[in-house]
Amino acid sequence: MSEVDMAVIKPEMMKSYIWLQTADGSIQQVEQEVAMFCPMICHEIIQKGMGSSKNYAISLPQRVNPSMLSLILDYCRFHQVPGRSNKERKSFDEKFIRMDTKRLCELTSAADSLQLKPLVDLTSRALARIIEGKTPEEIREIFHLPDDLTEEEKLEPLKNSTDDPRIRLLNRLYARKRKELKEREKLKNVETEEERVDDRSVEDLLSFINGGNGDAKGIKAPKSKKKNRRRKDHQKNASADESIESPEKGSNDLDFLCLGAEVDDKLQPHSGETSKLLNMEDETFSPKVEFEDGDIDDEIDPALKEKIDREVEDFARRLNSDWPERMQEILSLGQESRPVNGNGSLRRYASMLTFPSLLKVSPCSSAAEDVLFA
Amino acid sequence: MVDSPCPDLISDLPQIIIESILTWLPIREAVRTSVLSSKWRYRWTTITHLVFDEKCATLCNDRALVEDKLIKFITRALLLHEGPIHKFQLCTSYLESCADIDQWILFLSRKDIKELILELGESEWFRIPSCLFNCKKLIRLELFRCELDPPPTFKGFLCLKSLSLYQVFVASDATESLISSCPLLESLSLSYSDSLTLNIRAPNLKYLFLEGEFKDICIESSPLLITISVAMYMTEDIFEHMEQGSGCNFNKFLGGVPLLEKLTGRIYFTKYLSIGDDPGRIPLTYCHLKIIELYQVSFEDMKEVFVLLRLITNSPNLKELRISGSSNALAAREATDLDFWENECYSHCVFERLKVVKMTEISGVPHEMEFIKFLLENSPVLEMVSIACSFVMEERLSMLVELVRFRRASPRAEIVFIQP
Repeated sequence: MSEVDMAVIKPEMMKSYIWLQTADGSIQQVEQEVAMFCPMICHEIIQKGMGSSKNYAISLPQRVNPSMLSLILDYCRFHQVPGRSNKERKSFDEKFIRMDTKRLCELTSAADSLQLKPLVDLTSRALARIIEGKTPEEIREIFHLPDDLTEEEKLEPLKNSTDDPRIRLLNRLYARKRKELKEREKLKNVETEEERVDDRSVEDLLSFINGGNGDAKGIKAPKSKKKNRRRKDHQKNASADESIESPEKGSNDLDFLCLGAEVDDKLQPHSGETSKLLNMEDETFSPKVEFEDGDIDDEIDPALKEKIDREVEDFARRLNSDWPERMQEILSLGQESRPVNGNGSLRRYASMLTFPSLLKVSPCSSAAEDVLFA
Repeated sequence: MVDSPCPDLISDLPQIIIESILTWLPIREAVRTSVLSSKWRYRWTTITHLVFDEKCATLCNDRALVEDKLIKFITRALLLHEGPIHKFQLCTSYLESCADIDQWILFLSRKDIKELILELGESEWFRIPSCLFNCKKLIRLELFRCELDPPPTFKGFLCLKSLSLYQVFVASDATESLISSCPLLESLSLSYSDSLTLNIRAPNLKYLFLEGEFKDICIESSPLLITISVAMYMTEDIFEHMEQGSGCNFNKFLGGVPLLEKLTGRIYFTKYLSIGDDPGRIPLTYCHLKIIELYQVSFEDMKEVFVLLRLITNSPNLKELRISGSSNALAAREATDLDFWENECYSHCVFERLKVVKMTEISGVPHEMEFIKFLLENSPVLEMVSIACSFVMEERLSMLVELVRFRRASPRAEIVFIQP
């Protein structure tokens, strides 16, 4: 066998070649100096003496499939040549990363498994550039991310950091929606507890607040505890309990980072009549209920709830006078439909709450998280 | 939930890649990824590089509002962050000295911070809280416009490799002890210092950048220096102080740097080197020195010309020379001492490796012309000499005529005359 190998190598004695095997079993011969550019392969050759013959081919990590390998070798072949100018290298790199996102992700992963740091940097930078400036919806679409955060998580109230009355009102609206969501969820829970969508994310938040370390570990640990507590809740038959409130606070913190700065800016320039009106409303209202932290008192007293409803409707009516038609539609839809069950209405609620885009019509405004980043 | 036909492309990449991607993003966008999906909820919280600037808050005309938002954003980001923070950078003119920043630094000092960069607004200098000196793992420290006062208990940054202080107020002796208490220091930048007297003792120092007024600089024990770049301003007072001083500035500054590869001097640096006793023949040969850049050399001052000659004749491997003149043309025109160019001492000096000479701000005064002639005559592999005049001179033609006559040791030497 080794003789056969020699025969193969002989015509190319000038350069030394090594053997590489990808996870699908295919074996190929590669110029050693090129392959050595990958620290992982270099290590195999020097430390373990692998790759010298077909029988001792270096088996590459799972993540390196043949097409990725040939890409990576192209990269190495160019960059292992000494004396290239930075400009040359840069323009090569720029062309090199021109590929579809899927391949780019695969390449990043493959380069990482070969410990090829410069290529990991190059590709992850390219991925960052893809993400930068996009809305969450666009990002989800590009990378096929599941939209698995609950509406509630996305609708976590805005921190009223600047004392803007409009934000308070917004929070009040959110509060109502959250409450409704919760009620519906409760209904759902009675039917099938397993179907709870936000179970995990609440756990996330809990572990986050309790200082759980690390995402994966932190999430799993308190899960059972939470389940127990939930059962207790059912026994007590209590409505939204205090324990849910604390996760909300935590997530407020998180979301404030994404929301606060942007949303209140969005609202800032619109200080016209509306704002004044809101202000007046606000004064009559705020002493009774504290919405400062965006915390929602779920045991809101019925009289007050009615008042909120009235105000919200009032507010909507007034705003309708100068809002675009589409928005009016959305709003009135929200006002009318009191959802009983089902996921379909969730979406509608989300769109109803697209507040900043209502105040200032932004091109993308269908999903709730646009509130965050519009 | 609807099952997507295409699998998630990115979420299951190793955390190290995700962090790398998030690190490339501006931090506000990195934080934003927390609403993408449940897998991304807390991905950003473990990135180890946190870089903040005013882009973290949407700008508006109300400075106080932006400041408030920035502070809140940073405080919350730090609160939510998990694990070690290796780099913290805050560059914004919207923030000034405030208790929050002190608290952030305290927080960072407990997070094994390795790189700290702080550049705040200009109107008020920021006093660095003493907890900074507890950041034992610091590798890189970069501070702008602040006041630094190491506490008496400070024992040094044992890991620090790079120290940059721009317009930082530190007492002279404190600067010296700060430098010498960082045994691994490789790179040192000091700028806009005020009449500093400095003895640099840094055994591992490789890169030195100085800018400002210095009363006295001595590179005492930094034998590994590779690059030195100095822009030196000088007031009359300092100049007089120096003239009266003893010793030789050239030796104090360049007497102990045998590994030097690149030397850049601006403004009064050449003048500074020329002050003091004549060192005579310097014992040191700069075998590694390949690039010399000296700007604003006064060719009418023979002592400065000597500095220049002393440097280049002791650098056998010099490849590139960039000189700019700042001659007082009238004074320089009536040059005396022209004989010395014929002097034995320099006549058999050959620049074996010199390829590129770039002269700017040249006014064609005798010593400049003699210098160019000297270089052309003694540089056998010279490829290019570019000469840029400082202004439109009537004598330009005669200068050209003179230039053309100079003998060239290198047949390949090209003279590029750049018109102003």
